[in-house]
Amino acid sequence: MIGLIAALLMAVAAVTSIVFTYLAIVERNLVQAVVFSAVQSTMYALIYFLLMAPDIVLVYLPVGVGIYPAIVLLLIKKTDKVDE
Amino acid sequence: MRVTDLVVAASIVALALLLSYAMFLGGIGPVPVRSELRTLALNYILLTYNPAKIVYSALAPEGVTAIVWDYRGLDTYFETAVMFLAIISVVALTHGCKVKVGLGKGGMSLIVKTTTRILMPLIVLAGISITMHGWLTPGGGFQGGATIAVATVLALVTYSIDTLAKHGIRKRVLLAMRSTGLIGIALTAVALLIVGLVVGANAYIFQNQERVGSPLAFPAYFSGTPTGGSLLFYNLFEAFAVSAGLSLAIIVTSLREEEVKETLRGEGVE
Repeated sequence: MIGLIAALLMAVAAVTSIVFTYLAIVERNLVQAVVFSAVQSTMYALIYFLLMAPDIVLVYLPVGVGIYPAIVLLLIKKTDKVDE
Repeated sequence: MRVTDLVVAASIVALALLLSYAMFLGGIGPVPVRSELRTLALNYILLTYNPAKIVYSALAPEGVTAIVWDYRGLDTYFETAVMFLAIISVVALTHGCKVKVGLGKGGMSLIVKTTTRILMPLIVLAGISITMHGWLTPGGGFQGGATIAVATVLALVTYSIDTLAKHGIRKRVLLAMRSTGLIGIALTAVALLIVGLVVGANAYIFQNQERVGSPLAFPAYFSGTPTGGSLLFYNLFEAFAVSAGLSLAIIVTSLREEEVKETLRGEGVE
């Protein structure tokens, strides 16, 4: 039963991550694209957790949700917010 | 969001679902289903903490950290080196730029600042805890260091780069911390080798516990708790190096135009 729930959650997270990856690629507003990318990272972190890889989760959360969006947002702030 | 976007996204999702269903049915090729563990995995699990076979054991209950820093220590060492090469190149891009105080407006509102002041010590504590339990529970130096670096990001965004500079978090300090961590890792890797040279015993690079032909070992217990021998030192120094390195990358990318322009222009004229 628990295995089935974990598999279903994993499937939902994987599908959601696909949608957000696509949105991050096509989005013209770069700030929004970074937010989409961060949501995708969160979904991946959830999948890693359900696959019983807590070591990867612990490194994926700060890097994927904290540091990487921060660096990219800082760089966007110095250039244009909208991709021409 | 337009209708075309939704249609394309839905079709990509449908493709992924159909592909995984075909894979599940065995349409793309046979799927290896194993109920038992492979011999390699079983060896790691059985030997990670095994006081009866110390010659093959790391004496740390956490298998991943044991593999990362003991069984495959040299791989991790060069991975760390690659990451620091990247950070060095980021620093080299803005070589000679100094943080100037008084350029910004001083960060966000009082509410955000107060919340950050409460949150930041908790984040740092969580990072230290992840680091210091790295050989007992999931976690380790890189994970803890990255968590600590998030505190720097928070401070940078809610306060300002000036405030960080005032509190001593400068490029030079972070570079020194990062180098200390790297030198610590390198010294831990050859520590037993040096001891072996002094005592006159056999020793290996990246040695943790007693190995075949070498009686030397790091202390494996501290007041009854396993320390994983050298894993403690690796995790500690790695956390140092990673937190300082990532903070450095963030600070360098957030340098303001006025600080960078002068240096870049000066170099262009010469």
